[in-house]
This record gives sequence, C-alpha cells and structure tokens, in this order.
Amino acid sequence: MDDSDEALMAQIARGDERAFRALSRRHLPAMLGLARRILGNAADAEDVAQEAMLRVWTFAPRWQPLALFRTWLTRVVVNLCLDRKRRAPWVALEAAGEIVDSALGAGEKAEHDERERLVADAIAELPPRQRAAIVLTYGDGMSNAQVAEILDTTVSAVETLLVRGKQNLRRALDSAIDEDD
Amino acid sequence: MTKGQLPEFLETALKRLTQAAPPDDAAVERVLKRLSPLPRQKWPLWRLPGVLLDWQFAPAWPRFAALACFAALGFVIGIAGIDRRFDGGGAPFAVAGRSDIGSIVFEPEPLTGARP
Repeated sequence: MDDSDEALMAQIARGDERAFRALSRRHLPAMLGLARRILGNAADAEDVAQEAMLRVWTFAPRWQPLALFRTWLTRVVVNLCLDRKRRAPWVALEAAGEIVDSALGAGEKAEHDERERLVADAIAELPPRQRAAIVLTYGDGMSNAQVAEILDTTVSAVETLLVRGKQNLRRALDSAIDEDD
Repeated sequence: MTKGQLPEFLETALKRLTQAAPPDDAAVERVLKRLSPLPRQKWPLWRLPGVLLDWQFAPAWPRFAALACFAALGFVIGIAGIDRRFDGGGAPFAVAGRSDIGSIVFEPEPLTGARP
C-alpha cells in the first residue's frame, strides 16, 4: 500500500481521518520544531502547528500536488509564523543543550556561553523573514532555492535576507565585543 | 575573541542555535488531541460534478416499490370511500345546514344584493 505523503493527501481529500492522523504524526514533530525555532516560543509553536494541520485537513480536497507536500506544509508553517505579529522570546540557550568541548576551561566556557547567548538574543531581534531564512538555511540545511520556494520569493532575495541577517548579527556581536573591550 | 574570529564563530553559533531540537512527543500528542473534532472540508466547485458522480444514485427498487404500493393503497381507499367514516363523512354539509352558517355560505352579492 502506498503511504507516501501524496497518497495520504489523496485519501484525506476523500475525508479519511485515519490518513490525516498518520500524516500529522509523520510531520508534526518537524513542523513543531521549525515553528518553535522561528517563533522562539513553544506554546505559540503548538498553536501554529495545529493551525497548519487544520489547513491540511480543510484544504486537502483543493490541494494540487504541484510541489512536494513537505515543502507546501513548511511554507504554510513559515507563513503562519510570519503572520504572528507578536515577537516571542527566543528559545533559551539552556534549551539548546550544553556545548561539548573538553578543550575549554571553565572561564572560556562561560565566555563562550555568554557569546552564544548574545547570538541567540540577536537572532530573536531579527526581522521575522530574516530569522526564517536563517533557521531554514542553517537549521534545516535547505538550499537557497528551497528557502525561496518556501518563502515565496526569489533566490537572490533569499541571499539578501541571509546577508542582511548576518550583518545584523555581526553588528550586535561587534558592539558587545566593543563593550567588553 | 577578536573581530577576525567573529565570522567563523557566527557560522558555528548559527548552525548550533538554529538546529532542530529532539522531537517533543508530549507536544505532538497535545496537538494531535487538539485536532479533534475536525472541521468540515472545503470542496472546490470544479470538483462538484465528480462528487455527484461518486454518490450512489442507483435506483433503490424496494423503495420505489414501497412508494408505488402506498400510492395505490391511497387511491383505493380514496375511491372506495373507506376513509369517510373516519373524517366525519360529509360533515361540512351538516355544519352548513345550521341556521347561523347560511348567511356566511350564501352571502348576498355585494353590488346587486342578489342572493344565490
């Protein structure tokens, strides 16, 4: 039996709830993670993931397999995240796990943690589209073409988003280093 | 850290900070639970003919036969007058025969005053 995303979508289009549950279970973890990284807030991420899956169910009869289902769903999630006007706080650095680097001493490690916290704060301050581009590129390892498809823009626009995003981050870090000096 | 080391540090930090966290099964279950009951799906208009064709419009002969039988039974009852004993059997005439109803039934012509 074909259990590809597209086959499940065809079943969902006929009102098959079991196929919808199977598809949701397959994609929800990744979509929750993506929404959380863009929004920086677990509760908002759950709301966005729920809304995205409801759209999958509601619009399944209208869905056309013009692109991969996963790409389409990622686009829905990213758009819902961008629609959220509220700037949610970024994920705390502690949530990202500890750095495994035995070469660092206690002082160096504290300094490294502090700098990463600065980066995390700076990412949280980025405009939503720049943040989404950075998360999709660095976090999910997507190509610029894939990010462009998801953000419904051109490859050059994605490159601009990434360059500007990194410039903003570098500026924030530069000023922090200057303050330290 | 010097400013020269900044780009390399930034690349590493971005990869680390934006990488996907391990899946949160509890959150997945919560969202799945919130997904029921599911709303009604939205059908595009261009699929309506297909939907209608999918429906079972095959004639249900037993239902047609039952309908025909009841129609025939009603006809027979009506013709034979079996129902008259239940509905009063000519009661309207009996009521019209009372003295106070005659003026209503046989009202004079409004213009000429002629009685029927």
